[in-house]
Amino acid sequence: MSRRLDILRLRWRSLFRRDSVERELDKELAFHLAQQIEENIAHGMNPREAREAALRTLGGYTQIQEDCRDMRRTNFIETLAGDLRYAIRSLRRTPAFTAIIVLTLALSIGANSAIFSVIQGVLLRPLPYPQPDRLVRIYFQSDTQPKFPLNPNDFLDFRHRNRTFESVAAITRHDVQLSGSGQPVMLSGFLVSAGYFHMLGLTPARGREFGADDELQRGRSVILSDRTWRTRFSADPAILGRTITLDQVPFSVVGIMPAGVHHPGNNFHAVSDGETVDVWCPFDFGENPKDRGSHYLDVFGRLKPGVSPQQANTDLSAVLAQMKIEQGYLGWRVYTLPLFQETVGRMRNMLLLLLGSVGLLLLIACVNAANLLLARASARVREIAVRSALGAARSRIVRQLLTESMVIAVAGAALGTLLAVGGVRVLVACLPAGFPRASQIRLDSGVFLFTLMVAVLTGLLFGLVPAITASRADLQKSLSGRGETAAGRQSRLRNLLVVGETALACVLLIGAGLLLHSFVNLLRTDPGFRPQQVLTASISLPYEQYREVPKRVQFFQHLTAALQNTPGIATAGVGSDLPWTGYDGNADGYRIEGRPEDFKTTARYHIASPDYFRALGIPRLHGRSFTDRDTADALPVAVINESMANRYWPGEDAVGKRISFMYHPKEKDWIRIIGVVRDVKDQPDSSWVRPAFWLAHAQESDRGMYVVVRFTSTPSAAAAQLRDAVRQLNPDLAVADVRFMDQIADAAFSSQRFALFLVALFAALALALATFGMYGVISYSVNRRMGEFGLRMALGARPWDLTRMIVGQGLSLAAVGAAIGLGSALALGRLLASLLYGVRPADPVTLIAVASLALTTAAIACYLPARRATGADPLRSLRSE
Amino acid sequence: MSKSSDLIHGTLDLLILNTLALQPQHGWAIAKRIQQVSKEVLQVSQGALYPALHRLEQQGWIRSDWTVTEGGRDAKCYTLTKAGRVQLQKELEQWERMSNAVGLVIRMAPEPSA
Repeated sequence: MSRRLDILRLRWRSLFRRDSVERELDKELAFHLAQQIEENIAHGMNPREAREAALRTLGGYTQIQEDCRDMRRTNFIETLAGDLRYAIRSLRRTPAFTAIIVLTLALSIGANSAIFSVIQGVLLRPLPYPQPDRLVRIYFQSDTQPKFPLNPNDFLDFRHRNRTFESVAAITRHDVQLSGSGQPVMLSGFLVSAGYFHMLGLTPARGREFGADDELQRGRSVILSDRTWRTRFSADPAILGRTITLDQVPFSVVGIMPAGVHHPGNNFHAVSDGETVDVWCPFDFGENPKDRGSHYLDVFGRLKPGVSPQQANTDLSAVLAQMKIEQGYLGWRVYTLPLFQETVGRMRNMLLLLLGSVGLLLLIACVNAANLLLARASARVREIAVRSALGAARSRIVRQLLTESMVIAVAGAALGTLLAVGGVRVLVACLPAGFPRASQIRLDSGVFLFTLMVAVLTGLLFGLVPAITASRADLQKSLSGRGETAAGRQSRLRNLLVVGETALACVLLIGAGLLLHSFVNLLRTDPGFRPQQVLTASISLPYEQYREVPKRVQFFQHLTAALQNTPGIATAGVGSDLPWTGYDGNADGYRIEGRPEDFKTTARYHIASPDYFRALGIPRLHGRSFTDRDTADALPVAVINESMANRYWPGEDAVGKRISFMYHPKEKDWIRIIGVVRDVKDQPDSSWVRPAFWLAHAQESDRGMYVVVRFTSTPSAAAAQLRDAVRQLNPDLAVADVRFMDQIADAAFSSQRFALFLVALFAALALALATFGMYGVISYSVNRRMGEFGLRMALGARPWDLTRMIVGQGLSLAAVGAAIGLGSALALGRLLASLLYGVRPADPVTLIAVASLALTTAAIACYLPARRATGADPLRSLRSE
Repeated sequence: MSKSSDLIHGTLDLLILNTLALQPQHGWAIAKRIQQVSKEVLQVSQGALYPALHRLEQQGWIRSDWTVTEGGRDAKCYTLTKAGRVQLQKELEQWERMSNAVGLVIRMAPEPSA
């Protein structure tokens, strides 16, 4: 025990009382020397001889010192500490250099950490459920519908007959109005099948979740989210078992979920993932036992251990094949995919693009730092030569120089982390609407670890080449004169670095240019509607009050009539959907009169009131729109879009044709097409428009509709007028999702804008760094050649000749860099293709613009040193040679 | 300059510990004693001695104190610790085994032909 203590004491002493330990060693060796001299004298030498002989036997004094230090095992740490001290001292001697290099690194490391924290939160962190890799989404799929929701009875078949799932569950959005105290509020709600939370791996904090019984009794039970429980019921535990009023019907609270329960995200009437749901009620499967036509369930499943999504897909396909025989319907396939892929899949490419961009930026910052270090090393050639002349091994010098670059990198990383803390906040605030897993983005230990790794790697990356080059410097030449060969080799290396920097910057610039061009294309594309001065809101009529369809129709008719009579409001209509908000309604297979049923005629199904199209500014191309005469008693009519007309009636007039959704339509089942309207895409960057039709609101109504108001007054006045109009018709109704159409249009561009903004920012930084690097190299070379320029001037060269020569040198480097950059960008362009709209990766406009931008900035970077060269007094330049 | 190569590799520690087992001594005396006892066959250079002393001290096998010699000089005097005694025993046994083994091998070797 005491031995351990002794050892500890010795180590401590060697490390922290280094001076006294060294002094003792000196004394010890001095004693040895004295003894040796004494002995030598005793052997008959004279004192001088004795001393010299003793010194000879003692051998290399410093060597012994070193060896003893090694024996103390603290040598490594001491050298490191020494190197660190030396590095910091030498960096502090050149504060401007240090500041520039640390700042540029901090910017790029900070950008990397910030983007990485987004990637970590979105792509790397597992979904917030136990064993999340066993969770999948289940869809129907057809030639025109990549992901289609399920019908309740189809779901039941899947639930009973599958062999590969531990459990499956279905949900559908069902927002409810909570009333009872104060203003009624809309709560974000879902109807869920029994065992939904169990399937996700979640359990209620209090109470229970829904069982099979709940599915049968027209769901009168409710589970609250933690947030709803706290904000609406002041976290009252006694609420369990009591009833609350939802949509004017009493519901009994059977469970309360804990905080941190994440909605997995859904497609049909989408609610983004996260803690976005307030209440869950049981889904009632008793409603339409025969109905196989309406599809609105988002279905999830937990696979049995060891089952792959493909195996599950095969299993469900077999079930579907049986259903086809029994139910006689065709055209659907099963599509099973991992929940993770479903959640983050659509953002993956964009995030990888951003990661690639910051990675390139970091690489450029590294090259820039290496360039600066090389310049500095050439100024330190003598210092290094002196050190190696004094016996420092080359490895020792490399280590010293690497310590310097590590200090720089770590300082950059520390500052960069601070920037990232702010950057992540800004990033999250700017994320496009509905960005998946946004709530899980934060700086955590993983991000810090990443930053540390990046710092070490960058330190090595930008430090190694300059360190090795510097340590290789020719001793004799460096000490005696100006070390021209070393300088020559270094300037070649620096040229190479500038070429590399320019190339990398060009790749980023091309990326930014393509995104910009694509964004401009998007903005220039006719949206198909006029989003200015349009107010929208959603209104959901409670079932209990509006059981009868005519009552629902009447409510919306009265509302639009009241609004249209309000001053400042031009037109008002209602519809089942809004443009660019993500369409998720039903698309039905229909048959065309006079043609055989082939199950291939499908189109999307919408509802619209007479003035819906006018309010949105969707132009009518042909035929007529709905009127007040298209009542429930009149002949059924439909308005279709351009794509449906072109697809199913090419070269024909669709107006007047009839379609039906029945297998064996009677006369009253035929729906006559009365008009064709302009196409509106699902999203501004959708590559095609799906065929779609609208049924007249009076003939086909829903309880939930969007109100669309085109106003001439101010936005706030219009919003107030809408609320007033609703209140006068029914004071118990909540007006939800009040938005302006231009906000919706704006949000539809947010992904592209987000990517464009960030990539452009990184590209601008990259260009600045590359320009800076170019300036450094040309400036250095001009300084070295001042004498030569003086001579040329003295011999009659005009300033213009010199300028041309210097700028030409820079431009040739930039041209090589730009060529390499353009080449690589062409090769990498495919990766970007999925994010572009109306632009090929080899877009000539972008390529030419980027090349000229790179060359112009390079010319500007060279011009300043060139002016210095031509402005100098030739005589003085020559004399200083 | 005689190098530690005069000593069989790894035996210096054993020699130092063994020397110190008799009485505490300073570095110079240790070197001298090894030299004398071995009849000048084993030469311990300072370059080997002092690092070895520092290593043994770091292992906790010897302890150092400053004393004043008869000549009135300050000298760093090394003493074997209890742990050092145990270590010496171990090293001695190992040496015995090794030298016996080496002896056996040499004696078993065929007679060199004349």
